[in-house]
Amino acid sequence: MSATPTIAFDAERCDGCGDCMSACASAKSTDGNTAQSRIRIVRDDEAGHWGVALCRQCGDPRCASVCPAAALAKGDDGIVAWDAERCVNCLICTAGCTFGGIAFSADEGHVVKCDQCAGTPQCVTACTRGALRYVTAAKLYNRWGELEDLFVPGLGGCQGCNTELIMRHTLRRVGPNTVLATPPGCIPGMGSVGYNGMLGCKVPVFHPLLTNTASMLTGIRRQHKRKGRNVTALALAGDGGAGDVGFQSLSGAAERGEQILFVCVDNEGYMNTGAQRSGSTTYGAWTATTPIGDSARGKAQDAKNLPLLMMWHGCEYVATASTAFMEDFYAKLEAALEASERGFAYLHLYSPCTSGWRFPSASNIEVARTAVETNFAVLWEYRREQGLTLSRDIDDPLPVTDYLKLLGKFRHLDPAQIAHIERHVAEQAQVLCELAGMQPREGERIVCHPSDSMAVDLDQ
Amino acid sequence: MSEAVEKIAPSTGSAVAKKEPRILVCDGNEAAAWGVVLSRPDMVAVYPITPQSSLAEYVAQFVADGVLDAELVEAEGEHSVLSVLHGAALAGARTYTASCGQGLAFMFEPYFRTPNLRLPIVMSIVNRDGITPQCVWGGQQDAMTVREVGWVQLFCETVQEVLDTIVMAYRIAEDRSVMLPVNVNHDGNYLSNGIVRIELPDQGEVDDFLGMPDVNWHAALDPDRPMGVDPLTGGATGPGPALFVGYRRGHCEGMQNALRVIVEVHEEWARRFGRRYAPLVEEYRLDDADHALVTIGSMAGAAKDAVDAARDRGERVGLIRIKTLRPFPLDAMVAALDKVRAIGVVDRAVSYGWNSGPVHQETLAALQHCRHRVPCLSLIGGLAGADLTQTHFERAIAETAKLLDAPCPREPVWLNAEDR
Repeated sequence: MSATPTIAFDAERCDGCGDCMSACASAKSTDGNTAQSRIRIVRDDEAGHWGVALCRQCGDPRCASVCPAAALAKGDDGIVAWDAERCVNCLICTAGCTFGGIAFSADEGHVVKCDQCAGTPQCVTACTRGALRYVTAAKLYNRWGELEDLFVPGLGGCQGCNTELIMRHTLRRVGPNTVLATPPGCIPGMGSVGYNGMLGCKVPVFHPLLTNTASMLTGIRRQHKRKGRNVTALALAGDGGAGDVGFQSLSGAAERGEQILFVCVDNEGYMNTGAQRSGSTTYGAWTATTPIGDSARGKAQDAKNLPLLMMWHGCEYVATASTAFMEDFYAKLEAALEASERGFAYLHLYSPCTSGWRFPSASNIEVARTAVETNFAVLWEYRREQGLTLSRDIDDPLPVTDYLKLLGKFRHLDPAQIAHIERHVAEQAQVLCELAGMQPREGERIVCHPSDSMAVDLDQ
Repeated sequence: MSEAVEKIAPSTGSAVAKKEPRILVCDGNEAAAWGVVLSRPDMVAVYPITPQSSLAEYVAQFVADGVLDAELVEAEGEHSVLSVLHGAALAGARTYTASCGQGLAFMFEPYFRTPNLRLPIVMSIVNRDGITPQCVWGGQQDAMTVREVGWVQLFCETVQEVLDTIVMAYRIAEDRSVMLPVNVNHDGNYLSNGIVRIELPDQGEVDDFLGMPDVNWHAALDPDRPMGVDPLTGGATGPGPALFVGYRRGHCEGMQNALRVIVEVHEEWARRFGRRYAPLVEEYRLDDADHALVTIGSMAGAAKDAVDAARDRGERVGLIRIKTLRPFPLDAMVAALDKVRAIGVVDRAVSYGWNSGPVHQETLAALQHCRHRVPCLSLIGGLAGADLTQTHFERAIAETAKLLDAPCPREPVWLNAEDR
């Protein structure tokens, strides 16, 4: 199974017009009565927007698992299909589904549900506002899921850490013809280089100095290339090893255009060793070396913008990504890997640290998403030929305080500090907007809008 | 240099009958660069620093001219230079670099790790004194400061020896019983810039002598042989202290094996190329000597002249030149020291806490193994490029001779203290 198509709904784009229901009813019934529609748009007054009741074609469908007659099953095409021959009309499936995706039709005399119109869902065709899209959201996940996981089971990350997610997905895609460098930090701490003679991954891996990752990879990549071999030189480094003490070697390799894929997992500090401050730590943040006391209120300086610094090296490819936007991450990893065949590719991943930033371990992806939605972490990519483009709209962000309030490391902030961070976030967003606006697109100037290629895959 | 490049086309590498050596007139940095050419490294990374810079320029020009077929990495500093070579060696490359002084200090973090990774990297140190006071001149404070790191350390006396030793260093480093990085030291200014006539060995004969690179059989970063390089040992936990001890002991064994290999390689070099160097310790007019100087590096030339002059006056004095400082050639040194009744050690560096020179301290340690107690004086000179002339060594001999009848002073003799 490599693709499970689904119909995605964007509540913010839906105006409740009901065209989708009409289209479905026309396709699925003789009289076009919207009561026959398999999709229902409903007003969610509490949330203040429209919602959808529609079959999600779940991977492990509850409707099927509760069905006592085996009348519902997920097929190889990804569609949860209803079998009229087996159905006993008990309607337990309608209770099992939490999405309102299967319902009893009085006209039909049995349950009905979406079958995606054999690959051309009429509801999607009818929607003029882009609120409904027929996408294969899980396609990439599943395609990559079929690739070998080159890390061993049981890496020793903190509970709720998203770095293991980054490591496994990255190495699955990059593949076995790789030499992996994991400089001191959380990633070797989780066991990439293993402990006690047992390795944490199935590719050649080493523990460079904190300072010299890009330089060692330079020698490895060049020597293999000299011998006619195309070996991917991959770094999975933290922000300290990339941007602080490791920055000289990173900068040198980028300037020379070494063919390296350098992934920086930015958790804004030296989290593996007890959450000390780094150059990537946010202004005002508590860390073990920027404590809160009568004379000090966390870090006194703004974080340096490492991905922008890398962009100014004229790398082949630079991008920021987040585990809350995996499709975007996949697309960027794909681009970075390809670019690393020609020159230096740098991927900067925002990686909230459950223990060092002090938030519940279940909230990691929520924190990551909120960072992006508040413009605290802006997603963009830079290609040498095309310049910088924003990966999603940033002109209508959530309040920065929505992000700050999630994290214990900001608990002590006073209004002036909050205002400082808000100002800095706005300035950074403005800088990025201007950089993106510098890039002409079909004679126009882009300001704060995503590039076409990225817009499709976001919000999955 | 361009003339030399034209004369010496890259060899086909095939074994050929012994040829007449080509003659060059060049300084030690160019000679070192020719040693690099002859050794055919896969990768060279050099960051320029006085007085090594012209060496870096020669190597770059040789690559540009196609005389040297090597990857040249223009790294942004010495720290990265050696780090690049770590990666290259683990990918199977024969490698070369050169540095000195502050460059070596900046390189120290990967330098510190290189021998523990057992990477047979060859690196010239164009010896330079340390700052402060601000100084770009010769001196051996750089190499002496890192003598406990675990590299093999060879010190050359002449420009010809620089070239020959660089080639020999690869055989020593890549010997499977050694597998250690080698520093080939040549004194800044005196050897780096002194121009003399040298002979350039034939490329084919050097190819036969060196063989193919044999660099990463023990530890590799290669998808065809996936392995983890240098995982956490767990220290005293996990497999226990024995694992760590095993690595340290293996390193010590490699060092001791190097003593034998250095001798064998020098002997083979003499057989093949006709130039014989004392591999560990050179004894000069020592057999019937009452007292002797111990020297290291290029200063031995002037010191030998002073010994000759003293001999002409009837003084029974000799000289011991240390070529191999690490591993320390204990047996050879003890055998030499046992022949005399007083020793004067001339250092081009200081050992601060001992208030003497580092080679003096090394000599004192060796004297422990001698049959008799031999007084041993520290003399320090040649710092920051100061000239050590025959006159200075005549004084050194005179100071040493005093030990035959008088107690040995604990204070060092500062040979250039009165030079203006």
